[in-house]
Amino acid sequence: MRYLNILKGKLGRDPDFVELHAFAVMWSEHCGYSHTAGYIRRLPKQGHHGNAGVVDLDGDFGLVFKVESHNHPSAVEPYNGAATGVGGIIRDVLAMGARPSAILDSLHMNSVIGGIIEGIADYGNSIGVPTVGGELRLSELYQHNPLVNVMAVGVAPHGNILPSKASKPGQVMVVFGGATGRDGIHGASFASEDLTGDKASKLSIQVGDPFAEKMLIEAFLRMNEEGLIDGAQDLGAGGVLSATAELVARGGLGAVVHLERLPLRESNMKPWEILISESQERMAVVTTKDRAERIIEIAKDHLLTAAVVAEVKADPTYRVFYGDKKIMEVPVQLLANAPEEPVSDYVPKDMPDFRKVDFKVVDAHTVFEQYDYMVGTDTVISPGLGPAVMRVKGDGGYSLLTHSRADLAVQDSYWGTFIAVLESVRKTLSVGAKPLAVTNCVNYGDPDADPTDLAAMMKALEDACRFANIPVASGNASLYNTYGGRAIPPTLVIGMVGRADPKKIVRPKPSNVYAVGWPDFDVEREKRLWEVIEYLSAKGAFVLAASSLVNVTHVKALRRLGLKLNVDVPRTEPAHQMVIVFADSVKTDVPVKKIGVLKWM
Amino acid sequence: MKACIVVYPGSNCDRDVYHALKYVGVDVDYVGLDDSLDGCDLVVLPGGFSYGDYLRPGAVAAREKISHEVRRAADRGKLILGICNGFQILIEMGLLPGALLRNSSGRFVSKWVRLIVEDVDTPFTRNFKSREVIKLPVAHGYGRYFKTDSAIRVVFKYMDDVNGSDDMIAAVTTEDGRILGMMPHPERAYEKLLGGEDGLKLFTSVVEYLRRNAS
Repeated sequence: MRYLNILKGKLGRDPDFVELHAFAVMWSEHCGYSHTAGYIRRLPKQGHHGNAGVVDLDGDFGLVFKVESHNHPSAVEPYNGAATGVGGIIRDVLAMGARPSAILDSLHMNSVIGGIIEGIADYGNSIGVPTVGGELRLSELYQHNPLVNVMAVGVAPHGNILPSKASKPGQVMVVFGGATGRDGIHGASFASEDLTGDKASKLSIQVGDPFAEKMLIEAFLRMNEEGLIDGAQDLGAGGVLSATAELVARGGLGAVVHLERLPLRESNMKPWEILISESQERMAVVTTKDRAERIIEIAKDHLLTAAVVAEVKADPTYRVFYGDKKIMEVPVQLLANAPEEPVSDYVPKDMPDFRKVDFKVVDAHTVFEQYDYMVGTDTVISPGLGPAVMRVKGDGGYSLLTHSRADLAVQDSYWGTFIAVLESVRKTLSVGAKPLAVTNCVNYGDPDADPTDLAAMMKALEDACRFANIPVASGNASLYNTYGGRAIPPTLVIGMVGRADPKKIVRPKPSNVYAVGWPDFDVEREKRLWEVIEYLSAKGAFVLAASSLVNVTHVKALRRLGLKLNVDVPRTEPAHQMVIVFADSVKTDVPVKKIGVLKWM
Repeated sequence: MKACIVVYPGSNCDRDVYHALKYVGVDVDYVGLDDSLDGCDLVVLPGGFSYGDYLRPGAVAAREKISHEVRRAADRGKLILGICNGFQILIEMGLLPGALLRNSSGRFVSKWVRLIVEDVDTPFTRNFKSREVIKLPVAHGYGRYFKTDSAIRVVFKYMDDVNGSDDMIAAVTTEDGRILGMMPHPERAYEKLLGGEDGLKLFTSVVEYLRRNAS
């Protein structure tokens, strides 16, 4: 209601029916980031782009990556909700000009929900992008609101990386991919609500078509190779409206959109439905008139539909036509910039004495082994033993991981988040990689009911990234993860990428096993631990840096390599600074204790 | 000597096979649905989800125009290798016997498996030792081999039950050994870095066979 008054004030009149729908989507939390924009501005950032983050890998190649949530759809329709979550984040990476090369997930749920796993597996497997690992956290705290966060990474030569905007008047925007239907109308606004709300129906859920996505990937890469694309954005939340408006908004330009040109798969769609439909597997590219024809030809060669749907204008107004009939005309910047909620300053307290909050432990292989983690032949480390490591054919490689500590954050959201970042650094160092950047996904309850923990999480992310000297390159927020007013624990999922040398990867082999470090947590010691991990890994030791030290997934992963682990796992506080080191001997000035051996079976 | 990889809409191991063949020094080309296979000594149908596996894995691809070319190459005695979805396509085309059904678990399975080499007298397996145990990755939802013919040449068998296949069959070939269909992915095991290199022998077998026959 408050936003409606703001809109009336800015327009100087009552919005009409189409405008109401358009602004409901664009100013939804999902698209507009109203509650987090202020916090995001404070983060140490680098490589922020429209669709995903980009950091330099080795001078020649850029690493494109982002993590995104698909929580609300997965709660109502697990299979399609999770599947389209994969599709969306893949297109974000693709839109930057990079071939998506790895997927990770971060799942929080009550028990392993088969539909969610299958949704991710069927989609990722079919499009030929390996799902190389992730985290699986089971707790009844997520009974009604499972969290499905997916991270995607792509690699591209710097010269191939595309801007996420239109750059000059006279350009046109081509939408290509699957045809447009009624699925997912108001998905963005539904995803910004309590799940007992009246929008929580399957009608707001998009339906995935991985075959179309695979064709879209190949078509888009071909177009980019031929130099036909000046800018791109995927069609996700808010469909044609959001993609075209944001492309011109970022360029300080305007647009004229012709909805009657969009290929439809349902008859009798109303213009406003075409405008905000969230049908999947579609992409908007900015190009020039003379190159548009070739783009359409490539799309058709790949069994996709395509049409020039908009022209870029100098006048920063967003005009939408259906045939001769104008159905909307509003200032672009008003549409693309949602009102912002005030941010609050959170002052961290001393770290509490954490108690152990038990998350159920299961062997994550039951999940991993439904994912094709090897397609692409770049996966150097199989899932189950810490971060994934991927090579880049020719030279070099990178590490990637997702990590969170909601078991701590539910007790102190600042320290839980802070420690999740620090532990992500430990994990990255444990495979001999150098941390490059972070992407994050904020999963939260209702910020209007309780803004404090949101402020605490964002402050922790900012402080921890400054402490570690690692920039944040992209992020996503999923708010209103509530059911009947009850919120999930504040859950900030960290995605971290690092520069790795696949040739120097240490693999587990028979050795002694040591616990190295401290059973409790003191931030003053953290960087000393990092040095030790880096040193031991460089010396050829295999290092496991896990919150649980050793869990059933590690044991089973080692068994798959033909190794049997025989150890007494030391007791630690829930927040600790201890890692497990596999080596013949360990010499360091931090506490070391031999805890067992690793042998061939 | 030239190898051709048929790229169907939805193939996704085409580039992986390409890299593995390049690794053993073969001249490789990608081939589209309207192309000819003239001049190809080895035709590879790669893994993936041709046409999204809609209808039935391999069913749509088997009825594409390129199938006539594949059949023609088979008639001329060229070597044909179908991996995973490529195996499914060869079965749908009737070039190999049997059927591939949904895994007995009902789920997709992706992992390294142990295999026994049952037949070393094919152009694809001559560098293996008879009854040698090797490790290759599998990644499939429809890999359960159903036997329709008792007199078939089995090339690889699983050592552990992976998908419920009859007689643990992982790969079969024609009577003359020139068409091989296999569910495991040799192209994912051509370098130690990837966790194993047992797949390499399959590619070197083919290359050496073709080189010898060319000269």
